[in-house]
Amino acid sequence: MSMIDPKNARLIASAKTPGILYGIALDEKRRMLYGAGMDGALYSLDLSNPRASAVKKWNLHDNYVSSLILSGDVLISSGYDGTIIWSNVSNGEVIRSVAAHDGWVRKLAASEGGLLLTSVGDDMKLKIWDGKTGNLVSTRTGHDAKVPEGYLSAMYAVAVSPDAQFAATGDRAGFVRVWDLVVFKQIAAFRAADFYTFDSTKRARAIGGIRGLAFSPDGTKLAISGIGAVTNVDGFVGPCRMELWDWRAGKRIAFAQDKHQAILNHVAFTPDGKWLIAVGGGDGGGAIVFWTGNETPPHVAKPKGHLQAFALGANSRLYAVGHGGFQVWQLD
Amino acid sequence: MNWGHSPEHSLHRRAFLHGSLAGLTTALSFGNIGISAAKPAAQSLRKRGRRVLFVWLAGGSSQFETWDPKPGRETGGPFRTIATAIPGYHVCELMPKLATMMRDITVIRSLNTGISEHEQAADLISTGRPKEAALDYPEIGVVLAKELAAKESPLPDYISFFTTTEGRRRPRAGFLGAKHAPLLLEKSIRPEHVTLADGLTETRHAEREELRALLSDRFAENRAGSEMVNGYNSAFQKVRGLMRADHLFDLNREPAAIRDRYGRTPFGEQALLARRLLEAGVPVVKVAKGFWDSHHDNFESHRELVPDFDQVLSVLLGDLKDRGLLESTLVIVLSEFGRTPVINPDVGRDHFADAWSVAMAGAGLRGGAVYGKTDADGKTVTEGRANASDLAATIYKAAGIDPRGDYQVGLRPVPRAKEDAKVIKEILA
Repeated sequence: MSMIDPKNARLIASAKTPGILYGIALDEKRRMLYGAGMDGALYSLDLSNPRASAVKKWNLHDNYVSSLILSGDVLISSGYDGTIIWSNVSNGEVIRSVAAHDGWVRKLAASEGGLLLTSVGDDMKLKIWDGKTGNLVSTRTGHDAKVPEGYLSAMYAVAVSPDAQFAATGDRAGFVRVWDLVVFKQIAAFRAADFYTFDSTKRARAIGGIRGLAFSPDGTKLAISGIGAVTNVDGFVGPCRMELWDWRAGKRIAFAQDKHQAILNHVAFTPDGKWLIAVGGGDGGGAIVFWTGNETPPHVAKPKGHLQAFALGANSRLYAVGHGGFQVWQLD
Repeated sequence: MNWGHSPEHSLHRRAFLHGSLAGLTTALSFGNIGISAAKPAAQSLRKRGRRVLFVWLAGGSSQFETWDPKPGRETGGPFRTIATAIPGYHVCELMPKLATMMRDITVIRSLNTGISEHEQAADLISTGRPKEAALDYPEIGVVLAKELAAKESPLPDYISFFTTTEGRRRPRAGFLGAKHAPLLLEKSIRPEHVTLADGLTETRHAEREELRALLSDRFAENRAGSEMVNGYNSAFQKVRGLMRADHLFDLNREPAAIRDRYGRTPFGEQALLARRLLEAGVPVVKVAKGFWDSHHDNFESHRELVPDFDQVLSVLLGDLKDRGLLESTLVIVLSEFGRTPVINPDVGRDHFADAWSVAMAGAGLRGGAVYGKTDADGKTVTEGRANASDLAATIYKAAGIDPRGDYQVGLRPVPRAKEDAKVIKEILA
């Protein structure tokens, strides 16, 4: 990805699909973009044709699709049906389907090349898989099933470090755990409490949570995304928020918060590590947030609709999915 | 005695005293106040007459994530369904405990109440009538409290808990007058300032009351009519009754195991308190669980809210049943409205009054009845359409009160339920 200038960020293409897409996979070699979500089906967008419409391909899951990962010709998808499915992206042929979690599979993350796959689900487990064979390698537990106030928690986010040595997981109450993927042990834990709102006097309900996690390119830092203090738990009525942590020390390095009211569902570093980008939406509308990871305030671009996930491509392109389908943004 | 300085609380107390002055009788006995954790004899409870418990889900709970799921449809959301004790009827998977109790529960899936704005809808559902400029109608709970009140009871006829801020709406006594207004508990589940002031013993307090009564009697003989003094006397006695009943609001008197079963959440504690009050003879109680207004993140909201609702309501119904109270207690789960079939961009559901559900249990009902239907996507009612007036009339009937009865308001006879309301006979016992 070349240089980006957030002030010039602009929508250059979009394609509609029904409902909301949660998972995204980019195939730059074939110039194809894939998305899947509420209806369980796979949608594709031909990036070589600027006027292309989204095409419904085939059904992937019997419930919402939560994540997509493309590894060569193999599409790995997770769903609220509790399964992870490996399928051929060209023809939809299912290579294997695994009953992965008891409850919804919330998110997948894979190492570069897809050799190692991680998943988190509503059984509050981190599972580590052989990305090629689908064999379960390890199951780790540690996140509490309930938030401190006694309501159900959830593991919303998982990330794998670029060197495939570590995985990070985050939950509804703001707890983050980092796991060594060689010896399968937890090696760090801290709470990013500002991503969680529970007001015991006025509004006895919880909202927020760790919605996005990403390791820095050198693996030393962990970016977190979500929403700050929510003033009305009926919705995402709170400032969009990102934090950067030295995860080994359990110390927050910096945070960015903007008055734009949105939850940031997905965060990633640019490959050069210079920018953090997160997408989301809420009471203030959709959001693409750019942050340098220091005291400089973030810049917020406003896409149409609430975005759920994105992928960064060559030529300063950002590809996103969310409500209404696909969006392509030029960032320079 | 210090009655506190809270303006809200003072207002409620004034309304309470005013109401008492206007019409309460004086023959009181405190002997029947008080309960124990042990189960009372069902037969004696049955003789006490009907009770009503409102469970108000403030903000508008989703029928899709509770009583009328549509799995696999575009509108259905990600939750799956589970079978219930009623063959062929499935509820959302978030209610496994209530699913097993469906033989004691009655569901109406075909409400079309038209209004989808919080305040107006709450008014409509609470009164069973559209607002009328010329006449202020009382809330259904107030009507029930008036009709079900035991004249000799020193306890309030209607106690309404609303410790959550969302959808907090003070029940209107309307043309029935302030004397029927409920005791409102908004800050805490325990009334404030009903304990004796420091240094004042029960004996001394009783002596003061005797002196007050003596002076009142003399005043009645010499200056005023007995009606007025009777009113004052009964007001004081109601206050005394509430003071003596303070222990009813003390959940520490419940065994820890029971408190744990209900759960130590705000809703769980309200429900347990409601059971104590119903058991002690309060005819109408309202509890509330808020924050159902899930415009964003509907599924995460309901994933948090419904299991708590499922746990608490199932324990409450089981407890009422075990104690022989369910057959004389009508339990009604209500919201302002349901939620939209369409899932919005923020993964939320908005307000929807065209096709939604309520659940009821207990007195006067045919347990296990599932009335009405919606279409495959839950967008319209296809069978058994009912409106807010029909629901109100059905509640009155189930509570053993004639919905066609009149109240004389000035020169105008006003029917208890709206003139064109239809009782849903199919769900009645």
